[in-house]
Amino acid sequence: MAKLKINGKSYFVGNEPDTPLLWVLREDLKLTGTKFGCGGGYCGACTVHINGEAMRSCRIRVGDVENAIITTIEGLDAASNHPVQKAWLDLQVPQCGYCQSGQIMQAAALLSENNDPTDEDIEISMRGNLCRCMTYHRIKNAIKKAGKTIRARSV
Amino acid sequence: MSKNKVSRRTFLISSLAGMSSLVFADKLFAETKAAVDLLNPSSPLVLPPNFAPSVWFTMESNGRTTVHIFRCEMGQHVGTSLAQIVAEELGLRWDDVTIDYPQMDHETISKYGLQLTGGSMSVTQEFDKLSKVAASAREIILESGADLLGADITDCVAEESVITDTLMGESISYSEILSETVIDYQVTEDDLKNIQLKNKEEYKIIGKSVSALDIPEKVNGSARYAIDAQVPNMLYAKMITPPRRLGAKIVSIDDTRAKKVKGYKQTIPFNFPEEAMAFGAVTHVPLVIASNYPAAMRAAKLIDVVWDIDQTSSASSSDFEKEAEAILTNKKDAKVFWKVGDYESCDDDPSCIKIQQKYKTSMIAHVALEPLSALANFVDGYLHIYAGFQVGSYLPFAIGQSTGIPADKIIFHPHLVGGSFGNRAEVGTILLASLATMTVNKPIKLILTREDDMTFAHPRTPTVQKLEAVLKKDRCVGYQHNIVSATMQFDKMMPAFLVDPIVDGVPKKSDYKIETYTVAGSDNWYDIKNQTVKYYRQTSIEETIPVRNVRSVSNNYTVFATETFIDEISQQLKIDPLEFRLSYLSGIGINAGSNTPSSFGGGKRLANVLRIASGLVNYGIAKMPQGEALGVAVTGAENRFNPCFLACIAHVKVDFDSAAITVKKLTCVLDAGVAVNPDGIKAQVEGSLLWGLSNALLEKMTLEEGAVAERNFDSYKWQNITKLPDLDIHIVENGVYPSGVGEPATCVVAPAIGNAIYNATSVRLRSLPFSREELFEGLEKVST
Repeated sequence: MAKLKINGKSYFVGNEPDTPLLWVLREDLKLTGTKFGCGGGYCGACTVHINGEAMRSCRIRVGDVENAIITTIEGLDAASNHPVQKAWLDLQVPQCGYCQSGQIMQAAALLSENNDPTDEDIEISMRGNLCRCMTYHRIKNAIKKAGKTIRARSV
Repeated sequence: MSKNKVSRRTFLISSLAGMSSLVFADKLFAETKAAVDLLNPSSPLVLPPNFAPSVWFTMESNGRTTVHIFRCEMGQHVGTSLAQIVAEELGLRWDDVTIDYPQMDHETISKYGLQLTGGSMSVTQEFDKLSKVAASAREIILESGADLLGADITDCVAEESVITDTLMGESISYSEILSETVIDYQVTEDDLKNIQLKNKEEYKIIGKSVSALDIPEKVNGSARYAIDAQVPNMLYAKMITPPRRLGAKIVSIDDTRAKKVKGYKQTIPFNFPEEAMAFGAVTHVPLVIASNYPAAMRAAKLIDVVWDIDQTSSASSSDFEKEAEAILTNKKDAKVFWKVGDYESCDDDPSCIKIQQKYKTSMIAHVALEPLSALANFVDGYLHIYAGFQVGSYLPFAIGQSTGIPADKIIFHPHLVGGSFGNRAEVGTILLASLATMTVNKPIKLILTREDDMTFAHPRTPTVQKLEAVLKKDRCVGYQHNIVSATMQFDKMMPAFLVDPIVDGVPKKSDYKIETYTVAGSDNWYDIKNQTVKYYRQTSIEETIPVRNVRSVSNNYTVFATETFIDEISQQLKIDPLEFRLSYLSGIGINAGSNTPSSFGGGKRLANVLRIASGLVNYGIAKMPQGEALGVAVTGAENRFNPCFLACIAHVKVDFDSAAITVKKLTCVLDAGVAVNPDGIKAQVEGSLLWGLSNALLEKMTLEEGAVAERNFDSYKWQNITKLPDLDIHIVENGVYPSGVGEPATCVVAPAIGNAIYNATSVRLRSLPFSREELFEGLEKVST
């Protein structure tokens, strides 16, 4: 039995400790916004925040995140209106949308550390989040737009 | 706006008020409200029935209209485009529009017909029909509204979900009309014949970049993809991958060690009969069943399978390449696909010179980010399928045939698709889940891991192509394109899709048929007098791996070869490659493109987009630094009957020391006729161009001894967010009947880049993906 703190709620799960967090989120807790893409940490579709840091939930064992603060796309913002989500809507970023939960979580983590990222900062942070529809230009622009919103709020 | 007088119809407009005089009477007599009789349809508190004049949309008295999308949503926002077409002619306010994706079963399929999402054909196939049905329904609403207003219909207009009497200035909303009347009418074929559609100038919703209706749910995690489907008590299934893509049969399995895994249930060894294996739809495979997916993954590692390996399916990619070369030398069993004039006798003049070149392309996989999955539940004699699939109407037939369940007892619940690019036209995963639920009598959710998904890839065929040209003075008078590849085996799968060879633009009855989608793109739009396209089928590939349609399908290799060779011809003739193209794009004869409304104008439109692109890059004027150059390519993909006329100019930089290729910018101009949603088109083209870039520089799938070598993204490399070229995309909107945009732009990128590399370095690369090593060697040769 492990106790998980996800999106502000506590869950008690009985999975084997070596079970990837991804599958606990998706299949046991029905938080299906976090996606399975490659299982090897190459694509970033399963990105969640662990104690505020963007991490690949397919590579994290559930036994290792007891008492950690876990945030998934469903919990990023109570009204799903995080500046990143808003920018994603405004610039019509998603196509198939499958990678976008991971992209948004990665981008939100980037902006929480650096709210005025350069192209290079964005590339370094986002290079492990693949998008097969190749919405990369819109992702870049949306991150910049969200950064602007966040900066305006913090003054 | 239409003001044509509608003849009095036979449709029934019954006034709720009229029908319910009792209700009115009650109201007169009683101050207190009478008890509502919910069984009485004339009770004012019972919602009036919906107005569903066709299967394509339903209008409700609350003002909402739901457009039913019988297409697979895989990122192209097809529902938004189709809803825009309906909303335009129906005179709806855009905010009143929603969409849904109805289930597909025997009954709905019999009403809607073929549901096939592919070939960039959704808009081109639906535009006319949806426009006319919506316009017919608008006429009915208009008539009802006029009646209620007591107005003459010729004075009334339908706009923004409101009927307005322009004479008296009174108006009534669609919501009010449907609250006060019952309109029981189905639009008929006859209605469609006489209906007048709006002119382009009258469009209010078509041509507007409205926000895609499927996007909000894709930024908050609530969008439901096939892999998210769930029903109570379901079990999970995981494949054990065989040692060959095809041709490994299960001899025995031993699950002793797996039994210790908590949640492990059983392993079902699926060996299929020969006929089921035709065209590689399924592969013999054991399915591990467990109460949760991680348990299935754990157990799969502990199951020992003894395989019987058929050595005929053990070839490697390098074997195919050698064999293709031999086929080109022997020239046996050629099938002419496309013939214009007479290539064979066009070089009789001694002043003619002949040039030829060979081009090679590798296998490319779909690798949609959502791996294939299917949830199947066989209950009470009905098979429910929860999946994403591009050919929904084919599922009950295909699954019915293989499971023995009558087609009218199979129900497909479509889900969003996390990228498809052609791969979700394959039934294998759905069939396995269906057979598994029938075996264990529990709902089964089969999920492929990335490794499973790639092991069972359906990549684009590898090709070797040889092109020849006959040059006379400064003209190209003859052109031959030889293609060696596997087919997608439509001859076994759906022979109705095969076509006769095309001679001088007309299908000619012959003793053989051709799989168009394996050769499309070689039937180019150039006015070269004598042309032949010959196809050589390489069946050894088909016996080893089922190759299928990957975004833009054959255009990716035919257009690469064509557009590179056109540059090589112009180089031989010392004519600028852009000028050379323009001089062969006059849109004359068979290239006038009058066979379908979307191809109207043909080669002339291709020349126009090229001219615009040329202006945008300041072609021939802008000075380039050393190592940088522009390269041009054009295409009329996806097919000659639904061409998106498209020009791409690549700006490339090559580092002479390291042979590093940097694509600085891709300028793309396209003419797909009416642009229903310009920003949606732009999004598709952005994606397509980067797909093309990824195909050109990075992607390669290979077979080693009959098995896919690249099984995850550590070995199968593709484009990420780094090293992106600038994209400059321009849509030419000219009001011509629309074609499609989901795929075509992928195929022009590689030839444009390759031509730019040549222009920058004098090194010609003829194999995809482009090899830096090959360029490096070429650069060394050029410099010495």
